[in-house]
Amino acid sequence: MRTRAAKLAPLGFLAPNLLGFLVFTAWPVVYSLIASFSNWNLQKTVSSRFVGVQNYAEIFGDSKFWLSFVNTAYLMLGIPVSIALSLWVAILLNRKMPGNATLKALLFLPSVTSGVAIMILWKALYNPDFGPINSAIEGIFHWFGLNTHGPQWLLSTQNPLSLDVEKVGLAHKQFGVGARDALNIMGIWGAIGGTNMLLYLAGLTNVPEELLEAAQLDGAGKMALFWRITWPQLAPTTFFIVIMSIIGGLQGGFETAKVMTNGGPAGTTTTMAFYIYKKAFEEYRIGYASAVSWILFAFVLGFTLLNWKFGNRGENLA
Amino acid sequence: MLGALLLLSVVAWYFQPPTTVAGKTILIRVSDNNPLRQAQVDLFNKLNPTLQMELDPSDNGVDKVIVQSMGGVGPDLFDSFSPLQLSAYVQSDIAMDMTHELKKRGIDITKDCFKGMMSTCIYQGRVYGVPTNIAADGIWFHRDLLRAAGIPDHKGPWTWAEFIPIAQKLTKRDANGKPLCYGFYFDWWNFPHFLKGFGAHIYSPDGTKCVLDSPESIAAVQLMHDLVYKYKVSSSPVEEASMSTAGGFGSGSVSVFAEKHAATALGGRWWLAQLRDYKGLETGVMESPYGTVRDFHAYGRCTLVNKEGHNIQDAIKGLLYMAGPEYNNLVNDQADGICAFIKYTKSKQFLFNPKYPKETDNAIWLDIAAHSSGDETSPFISGQVVNDMITEQLDLVKADQKSPLDAMHDVAAEVNQQIQKNLQEDPALMDKYKAATRP
Repeated sequence: MRTRAAKLAPLGFLAPNLLGFLVFTAWPVVYSLIASFSNWNLQKTVSSRFVGVQNYAEIFGDSKFWLSFVNTAYLMLGIPVSIALSLWVAILLNRKMPGNATLKALLFLPSVTSGVAIMILWKALYNPDFGPINSAIEGIFHWFGLNTHGPQWLLSTQNPLSLDVEKVGLAHKQFGVGARDALNIMGIWGAIGGTNMLLYLAGLTNVPEELLEAAQLDGAGKMALFWRITWPQLAPTTFFIVIMSIIGGLQGGFETAKVMTNGGPAGTTTTMAFYIYKKAFEEYRIGYASAVSWILFAFVLGFTLLNWKFGNRGENLA
Repeated sequence: MLGALLLLSVVAWYFQPPTTVAGKTILIRVSDNNPLRQAQVDLFNKLNPTLQMELDPSDNGVDKVIVQSMGGVGPDLFDSFSPLQLSAYVQSDIAMDMTHELKKRGIDITKDCFKGMMSTCIYQGRVYGVPTNIAADGIWFHRDLLRAAGIPDHKGPWTWAEFIPIAQKLTKRDANGKPLCYGFYFDWWNFPHFLKGFGAHIYSPDGTKCVLDSPESIAAVQLMHDLVYKYKVSSSPVEEASMSTAGGFGSGSVSVFAEKHAATALGGRWWLAQLRDYKGLETGVMESPYGTVRDFHAYGRCTLVNKEGHNIQDAIKGLLYMAGPEYNNLVNDQADGICAFIKYTKSKQFLFNPKYPKETDNAIWLDIAAHSSGDETSPFISGQVVNDMITEQLDLVKADQKSPLDAMHDVAAEVNQQIQKNLQEDPALMDKYKAATRP
């Protein structure tokens, strides 16, 4: 029979971490839930009081919040592209070839470089008048005899889906390429060689060689090998990457907005995370921002549950 | 949970940073990340051997200062860069009312300083700080580019109608129409400069209504739009999108101008602090053109004392230093804008500094500052909210997605709607509004 001390010992070892979690994570989370039902404002001219579900009701009629949701969703369009490219690169790097390790290190470089430095670099690349991207695009156009200017990138509200800027909907004048696409391209560039690639590389090493060899002996081609053997075997990795990417995507966009665009032009790069920051620390409406945070949490939870229910079918098959 | 919080609070209290080091009282000053600021702090420490002022640029920002001050760990001194920031500090009960303290020491900023800085220091009739510099923008130009185009330097007041043909002559494009050098470069965040030049206002005199849909405002924004799309002399600046990482408002524009991507540009004397690092430039300054009213937008810093600070008396000494000759002469010397105290701009040392013999335009800067006025505020709405609303509409104008007329009508409607919403939520504000609108 275990002594009382032996029973308490694990708790003692856990205590430092648990204490930190309770004080710095659990308590603020609970407190933000309480705050979301108040009109707490950092400006003392407005006295704090309980307002019930008023903040939540206001969010549903707040067009700027819904625009930030659309922006967040738009910026998540890059996720499947980056996942697919990460897998492709991982498959290429999984082959035995000279310079493999160097290539891996180079591709992983954006993940270990300062995000702010990268963003400032991309800002310069996206300069519509003097940036190298537009210089290259315009050079190609001129080579074909077309006198066309490149996109305005970070200055433009346009997007290929023609999403309107001032309300949730479509507007044909918004058709084009703009700031959100610029951020998506940058995000894909950074994500291709990042942790997703490493996870896929790890996943690929776990694909049983004997399965591949047996399939090859049965006459399976490269595509059949990938779709019938590799892809199902990678399902748990893909499932994990998709869930983490969706959670990250829903919570993302803060750094790029803060460093590159300040949420503009015309709010087109204001994601939900940046919107929370603006409400809390620019307008000082902590109560309202807390309510938005809980709505964001509901979205994250909802998407994760949906993914859990429908997304792991491949994993079960595998 | 509460026990754990209490325990950690005791631990944090025990390990809190010392307020004195080697017998010197430490004063924390939050300001922007600017090398000039460090030299200003160093001079204070030299003049006050018992005090150690430390610059904390990493905590610069209204949100950080307010949150830290509320938590009892705020700085002793911090900067307000606009009336909207001042109102946020005052309404958060962070800024100390310095009206009597300054009066007691014979400092009357309403008489001693440029009037353009008043709204950044005075809120609802109370003085909260000392203006620590001022900027009002003129037209920077490259002398060699003007000379090559056969354009003489312009002296004195002039209008946009006179300036635009010159900017058109200075704009250079390649055979494909790609810009090589813009005739005129400006930042869209500087929209108040254009508004003032047309006599436009953001609010009605009592602050109860947004009047950005006035013909004057529309004309000002129309000009900004036309400089890009009709006259094609300006670019839509991409560098202005984020200011903080680039080192301050408009610092990207300084680079654009210094690298001769623009022949002329709208900017302040503070550009010199960067331009001095570029070798071989031949730059000059002209007064900015105006639309109908010779009024320019003034902006700058006002330093405030934290009401919740631990060393209020010493912080006041820091504030008084910024009203004194050593600090103000240093500001002029560094070209950290112009010092805000008029008497320190009268010296020969400022007008013709032997250290910088090529800088002969300081009299022009003074004239511009003398004809400048500060930003407007309304007690019925947060300036930050209004600024965001204006910026979103201007972004659409800048991208040629919306006409200035529609944008200004929409922003005025949006601001007025928000004012009404604020009144519904705050009975005290409603009383104030009723008092202001009572016939």
